[in-house]
Amino acid sequence: MTDTTTEQPPALNTRSVVGLGACAAVALVGIFLIPTLQGPSGGLNVRFWTMAALELLAMGGVVYFVLNLHEEPS
Amino acid sequence: MDPIALTAGVGYDLLGGDRPETLWLGIGTLLMLIGTFYFIVKGWGVTDKEAREYYAITILVPGIASAAYLSMFFGIGASDVVVGEETLRIYYARYADWLFTTPLLLLDLALLAKVDRVSIGTLIGVDALMIVTGLIGALSQQPVARYTWWLFSTICMIVVLYFLATSLRSAAKERGPEVASTFNTLTALVLILWTAYPILWIIGTEGAGVVGLGVETLLFMVLDVTAKVGFGFILLRSRAILGDTEAPEPSAGAEASAAD
Repeated sequence: MTDTTTEQPPALNTRSVVGLGACAAVALVGIFLIPTLQGPSGGLNVRFWTMAALELLAMGGVVYFVLNLHEEPS
Repeated sequence: MDPIALTAGVGYDLLGGDRPETLWLGIGTLLMLIGTFYFIVKGWGVTDKEAREYYAITILVPGIASAAYLSMFFGIGASDVVVGEETLRIYYARYADWLFTTPLLLLDLALLAKVDRVSIGTLIGVDALMIVTGLIGALSQQPVARYTWWLFSTICMIVVLYFLATSLRSAAKERGPEVASTFNTLTALVLILWTAYPILWIIGTEGAGVVGLGVETLLFMVLDVTAKVGFGFILLRSRAILGDTEAPEPSAGAEASAAD
């Protein structure tokens, strides 16, 4: 399915590309969040669920942006 | 069974913190990074619309996993949880990794089978439930609660695997022999590897404690690297993705599928 013709490759949706980068950043924040939240600000469960929510948000974002990675032909 | 008998000599403490599992976590980090950079280099300049989607997903999966492994390597991605009368070291970064990466692996398969968005949402939703209930199990302080959540999570996994082996497989078959062959190979890989996770959890330190942290970390690392980098390697080398001009070899079993 690789494009072997001289046609222009389909245009990437800039918003989706930026969104994928942002989702990756959110996923990284989720992984490294728990140690930075340690202290009186919240119990262990609160910190775990904050991490899980961030990972789910990042994953959902990746799914959305991958499904909309290219500009719709006008 | 005494876990010490199964952990003796397994691993090497690279950081001097009495954590012999750091050897496996370090190797896991390196292998995930190598996989990430390999997929980036291989996908650089790809112009095909579908191939770009597969590359975007398949690069992110080991990329985030390498960060999770690095956090566990330095001990950041772990926390002590009191269970009954003992304190368990839970590598919670695994769950963060799995929450992000397992739905994306399924997205790869769903895109390959070209199923509708409702099916994709259902598959990913059940998968997320599988990991979240696994995390609830890991955080539970009562052994009965831990095993109950493990069972719930395992049932979710069986639903996901059943969905893959039935409706997605049928959809992939309709896309031709190359796609069907690649899909079948990847699904077989997922069926075998994913089934091993709950078994390892139940015999590992978070479950019955039959195997110690060193063996458990080694086995999880092998499973994770194979399920992410191995999966991506098979997917991105397949003719179903590359087309006839660039694929190095026919997809496994393609001829057999074509003969059906």
